[in-house]
Amino acid sequence: MYSQKELVVMSVKDNVGIIKEAMKKGREILIADGESENMINVREDIPFGFKIAIQDIKRNDIVYKYGEPIGIASMDIKKGTMVHVHNMEGFRGRGDLNV
Amino acid sequence: MKDQFLGYKRENGVVGIRNYVLIIPALRQYNMLAHKISDMVPDTKVLISLGELGRPREDRLVLQRTMVGLGMNPNTASVLIIGSEKGAGYEELKIEKICREISKSGKRVEMLLLTEEGGMYDLLGKGIKVARDMVLEASRAVREPFGLEHLTLGVKCGMSDSTSGICGNPTVGRVFDKLVQAGGRAVFSETTEVIGAEHVLVRRAKNEAVAQKILKAVEATEQKAKSIGQDIREINPIPENIAGGLTTLEEKSLGAIVKAGTSTIEDVIAYAERIEKPGLYFMDAWMSSLSLPTGYAASGVHLFLYQMGGAGVPGMNFPLPAVSSGIVTPIMYLTGNYNTYERARDNMDFNSGTILQDMETPQEASARLLDMILQIASGAKTKAETFNYQDPVELYFQGPNL
Repeated sequence: MYSQKELVVMSVKDNVGIIKEAMKKGREILIADGESENMINVREDIPFGFKIAIQDIKRNDIVYKYGEPIGIASMDIKKGTMVHVHNMEGFRGRGDLNV
Repeated sequence: MKDQFLGYKRENGVVGIRNYVLIIPALRQYNMLAHKISDMVPDTKVLISLGELGRPREDRLVLQRTMVGLGMNPNTASVLIIGSEKGAGYEELKIEKICREISKSGKRVEMLLLTEEGGMYDLLGKGIKVARDMVLEASRAVREPFGLEHLTLGVKCGMSDSTSGICGNPTVGRVFDKLVQAGGRAVFSETTEVIGAEHVLVRRAKNEAVAQKILKAVEATEQKAKSIGQDIREINPIPENIAGGLTTLEEKSLGAIVKAGTSTIEDVIAYAERIEKPGLYFMDAWMSSLSLPTGYAASGVHLFLYQMGGAGVPGMNFPLPAVSSGIVTPIMYLTGNYNTYERARDNMDFNSGTILQDMETPQEASARLLDMILQIASGAKTKAETFNYQDPVELYFQGPNL
């Protein structure tokens, strides 16, 4: 787990981080975990506890958190934008998909 | 200095952290009288029955396990059961059978029958008389020091937000690891919220048989969700989770399972099934804040940990999701979200959000949590215990009702 002032990234496999303090559009977050450096330009306001894309994610790509799949992107997601119900879907327990 | 708490040693060697006289109506008809006896006599708890008539066998067994389990729970000093006559009712729920099972603990069990007392007025009066005597006797018990190996904890995560999986739940998980290493018992549940994370759990199953039980439990729950033709996302994650930043069931589940720590999963148990041996257990059951504490109490849990997220719960000093649904098992509220803690200090016992504020290390927070748990086990009340309110009873029935 990588934790710094602005966000937490649970695993090196993850393409999202969790915001630790409410972020305003325009802020820059530098992730320097000893392996590499990743500069993220925050593209929109993101509330405390919500997810931010730490890489570009394409539609139908798997979203990873805790090193595990948590869903798939339902549209292209740019690095630095919020990831939530409007651009990501789960794939388990989907009774609606059998209809 | 070894981790210790002060508890009540029971007849069969188990240790309780509370000292209640439990009143059980053997049939739903006797709810009112059981309730009134409990009203008149302090330090009693009552299990209001949801009724046995028209329920399929599996549900009658749930009711049986709940009655027997609550009676056997070490927090229960003695039990008063009231009913009509011996031999009455369904096989599983005959009053003499329930009495016999609870009596195996060696604790005092009193059975009062309408047909022997002469009528409801006589039964009520006798019940009050007997309950008073039982409470007097229980009050003479003295607390003695015991180690962690005598403690059983159960955890639920509720109103989860994104702090749950990264802060609040792992703090409980570390305490669970310590408890199990010391020879104690721990249980977690909420099968719906294992969907998407079961592959992580099965790696820690004691053996292949347990791994299969976990997978079957999750598969059955997922099938139930699909069988109603609805998108599970309309049900779970709940609105409060989504408002708190959790997006999918898989994400919620992966964050949820960490609350149980990293110990081997000894077995999968049914709702309200009693835990007989040390270790960590998974109870295949529904997440409801009303039914799960009751189910855990029946399995032998001393203290129920409710690990809350809370970002999606609005307002200041919001009321608690459940106050006393553990009946003989008190509920402690924790959160990993310092904002939730600030908004509800009167109801929140513990805050691990200090970790996210870089005020405490994860290990320091867990050590502090264990200290508080031992304090509560020794008699300090949880905040929920300072309310005089008994939640409505809800059990995990699966029906159909016929």
